[in-house]
Amino acid sequence: MAEGKKSGARAAFIRSVVFVFAVLGVYIYIAEVITDISGQAHRGSVATGVGPEMGREIFFGKGKCSTCHSLGGQGSAVRCPNLGATAGADPPFDIPIIERAALRAKQRSEKTGQPYTATDYIIESHFDPGAYVVEGYKNEMPVIWKPPIGLNADEEMAVDMFLQAEGGSADAAAITNSPVFAKLKAGLATLTSEPAGEAFKPYLAGDPAKGELIFFDPDSPTPCAKCHTVKGQGGKVGPELTNVAGSRTPQFIIQSVLEPSADIASGFEPFLIQTNDEEFISGIKKGEDAESFELMDDQGEVRKIAKADIAKLVPQKISIMPGNFREILTMEQFHDLIAFLLTLT
Amino acid sequence: MNYAQGVRKEGWWRSSAATFLWALLLALIAVPVLAATDGTVIRDEYRTFMGIGSRQVIWFVAEVHLMFGAFVLGVPIFAVTLEAIGAKTKDVRYDNLAHEFVKLLSAAFSTTAALGGLLAFSLFGLYPKFMAYMSNVFHDVFYVYALLFFAESFTLYLYYYTWDTMQKHKWAHVWLGVLLNVWGIILMGLANSWAGFMMSPVAIDPETNAFTGTVSQAIQTPLWHPINVHRLLGNIAFGGFIGGAYAAVRYLGAETEKDKAHYDWMGYISNFIGVAGLIPLPFAGYWMGREVYSVSSVMGNNMMGGAFSWTFILQAVLVGTLFIGSNYYLWVGMGRIPGAERYKGSIKFIEAILLICFGIWLTPHNLPLNPEEQLLLGGQYHPTFKFLGLMSAKNAVINFIILSTFFSFLLYRRGNKHDGIPFSRQGSKAKIVLCSVGAICLLVLGWYGNFLYHADPAMFDLPADRAKYFKVPAGLLFLQMAMVVVAIGLTFINKGKLGQALYLGVGVFSIVFVLGVYGFTIMKVANPLLRNIAFTQWSMMMTCLLLVSTIDVYLFAGAKEYGDIQWGKMPAYSQYILILLCMAIVLNIGLMGFIRSGLREDWHIYGVLRDTSPWAFTPTNATMAKMVSACLVAFLGIVSFVFWLTGLSKHEEGGGSGAEETHVVKGPVKGPIPVAGIAVGAHHRSADNLSQGLGVHRSDRGM
Repeated sequence: MAEGKKSGARAAFIRSVVFVFAVLGVYIYIAEVITDISGQAHRGSVATGVGPEMGREIFFGKGKCSTCHSLGGQGSAVRCPNLGATAGADPPFDIPIIERAALRAKQRSEKTGQPYTATDYIIESHFDPGAYVVEGYKNEMPVIWKPPIGLNADEEMAVDMFLQAEGGSADAAAITNSPVFAKLKAGLATLTSEPAGEAFKPYLAGDPAKGELIFFDPDSPTPCAKCHTVKGQGGKVGPELTNVAGSRTPQFIIQSVLEPSADIASGFEPFLIQTNDEEFISGIKKGEDAESFELMDDQGEVRKIAKADIAKLVPQKISIMPGNFREILTMEQFHDLIAFLLTLT
Repeated sequence: MNYAQGVRKEGWWRSSAATFLWALLLALIAVPVLAATDGTVIRDEYRTFMGIGSRQVIWFVAEVHLMFGAFVLGVPIFAVTLEAIGAKTKDVRYDNLAHEFVKLLSAAFSTTAALGGLLAFSLFGLYPKFMAYMSNVFHDVFYVYALLFFAESFTLYLYYYTWDTMQKHKWAHVWLGVLLNVWGIILMGLANSWAGFMMSPVAIDPETNAFTGTVSQAIQTPLWHPINVHRLLGNIAFGGFIGGAYAAVRYLGAETEKDKAHYDWMGYISNFIGVAGLIPLPFAGYWMGREVYSVSSVMGNNMMGGAFSWTFILQAVLVGTLFIGSNYYLWVGMGRIPGAERYKGSIKFIEAILLICFGIWLTPHNLPLNPEEQLLLGGQYHPTFKFLGLMSAKNAVINFIILSTFFSFLLYRRGNKHDGIPFSRQGSKAKIVLCSVGAICLLVLGWYGNFLYHADPAMFDLPADRAKYFKVPAGLLFLQMAMVVVAIGLTFINKGKLGQALYLGVGVFSIVFVLGVYGFTIMKVANPLLRNIAFTQWSMMMTCLLLVSTIDVYLFAGAKEYGDIQWGKMPAYSQYILILLCMAIVLNIGLMGFIRSGLREDWHIYGVLRDTSPWAFTPTNATMAKMVSACLVAFLGIVSFVFWLTGLSKHEEGGGSGAEETHVVKGPVKGPIPVAGIAVGAHHRSADNLSQGLGVHRSDRGM
């Protein structure tokens, strides 16, 4: 009788365990499906070059703009004003954001007595979101160039260009010439500056013209343009440096040249892949989908590797940028290069 | 002292010694780290454990520890409640059940402590820089935490091992259980303060990111109480559903009718406790979400409309499983209640409501999609259905789900009853209680209605002309106040059922159909007011639960029965529902932990200490599901092992199942029927009923 009790309890326990694993299987399957249809598994492409395309990625990604703002028919967020033109909506939400911005800029000028362009207004809404809140909406937008979002000047510019392009055309010059953008860059510089008393003083006064040659000349000891773009010229392996001095301190730039692994730019983290054939491939992740992984090597070549062929995928702490510039460059060359980089505001 | 007592004493020392050792180890590892913060530079920011990333290790250990923590903190709350019900009503069934729960608790406690030690080791070893920062802020709290751990463990063992010896001083023993809960809640609060600080740090120097405040400030961050309340309720639900699964497995393996009856009843009570904890949880969650949003709109938006929006779809699947599963279990249970067939027709309507609400709750909210992803989804949002994913729709349906579940309980409760004694013939106590409950409802509704009616729109950053939008929710609150008076008046003239129907009907109409739809208008023209609409819905819904259940108690007081509930006559598949509910709550606790922790994204301490490890990214939902499933397997595996060990000890004592440790009482016993978390009213049972193994007295166990 006691044996019978024991075996009954054991059978019940085993049936329960089988049930638990069956339910877990269903749960994991649902999670896989959700991951797939939400696009979570496909995220990872990185737009390079400051422009509307990069701005769109930031709008729907790192900047988290789309969690509050819809864009016309895209998205259902209603917490903050829709930034697209919505047919049939109450004015002014039926016209594109760039036209709406022009109207708001006019009102803003009348209110403050200061001249405002549509671009100024768009930039101000990022620099100081509480300055001129749209009626009916709460003053709750975060300052996106500060933590935790912390967009840099390039990313800010890209978002501005993206919004300009919504119903108009992107105008980089209007942004760089905007006094509000200058304020924003100054704010960013303060944010990333070293504590007082440690102002940057170069050991030697470098020559920016010579530095530019070092940067772009393919025969120079460190042809930086092979990987970095400045004003439309150069490769896309590393981050764009067109406005690097506007968003980074001199100390940070020097550290990035001499110790590239100390602080790897977001979106340029290196990965090491070990294939099933024991091949090791390193590079920067450029994209990923359900079947494959895209890696760009230090020559700028993108290689697609099937996930089925990957034995191991390991994030790396060492940047693919060479870390031996202090041995390659002379003291003068180094200061020339830094002087050139510091002109990129 | 006999053998069984010897075994118990030995067990007590073993458990106490284990707890002591773990607390000592915790203190030992804390000391060098605390010393390090006084001057030693901690160079290594991150380490790995045998090639496994630091995040995976911490995720797994912390999650399993939290699951055990939830169990050992949740169970004492309802164990002592059950014990108090037993003491008050002299119904020994509740005392037996409370003791059985506490027996599981004492076995699980040492495991929780051991896992806590492992978590502390892992954190200090794998995240030295982060832990140095946290130690710098909280080192005083660590010592208090360790001391409280002693207090809780000794109180627990005192509570458990004096169960028999203090039978003559039952209320003193109940207060010992209350003390155990006090320690447990303070312990939980201290641990929550660390999580709260990581999400909403205060007193931080903006230049150096150093903490400049006091320990008290570090504890009382804006998210501390929302996390406390959410976890407290979650722990009750968690403990209830775990107890339900335990009862289910024992039921499935039970060979005798007596055992089946015992574990069937235990399963029912456990499910009741689970649902009682579950019902207020969505609102505690809403409060917490609102506070998260107030701390950082970035975190708040990321939660519901950003990276975690699809995780909430998965959460909706789990919460839907909990509500639909609980209802289904009740409906199946009505099969063993003579007379309950009268309500069979209503069940299909409740089922339809639950499924429709579940579907709406599953509708995705805002999604951060790029064009490629939109192509993958097959285009833009549906012009109509996209609104079902918005907060207003979700608030409406969760209220409807809760009210429908409550309605299921009402049907279940009155399943085998004829009408009771007319209210007008009941004593003055009934009238005082009903009027008092009515007064509470009037106070809550009146206070909030008055606030909304006179609220200045500027408080919500809204222009003055939006004041008119405040009047609708205020008006509905005033209408519900009128219905309180009507429902009580009808009950006084012996038309309580009509009073209940009117109160529930008007409540559902206002909460779901008026405010649910009106919420969309509010979102468009006065968005900040939406949270007040949600609170209006919640307060009205809570008064529905309170007033209608109170009326119900007196409607069926002294009612004759169609027949006795046939405990132990549940079909086997019903027990798998209890196991499913247990899994759903365990998976849910893991999922919600993922969201809460993931909201910090690449910050250990939000906006202060950045996570610079290679693992500073948000894993996919698929990864989360696999990790949480692994935690579930580990948790349930260890729990099963611990419960098996408990069973071994019982066999040594010469006992059988919980039911076998008791003997049947000859004679009627008055017992309470739990309704909405309170035990009220008297319920007559016959000796035949008790012979099902329910009305039982504990024998002199182990003597």
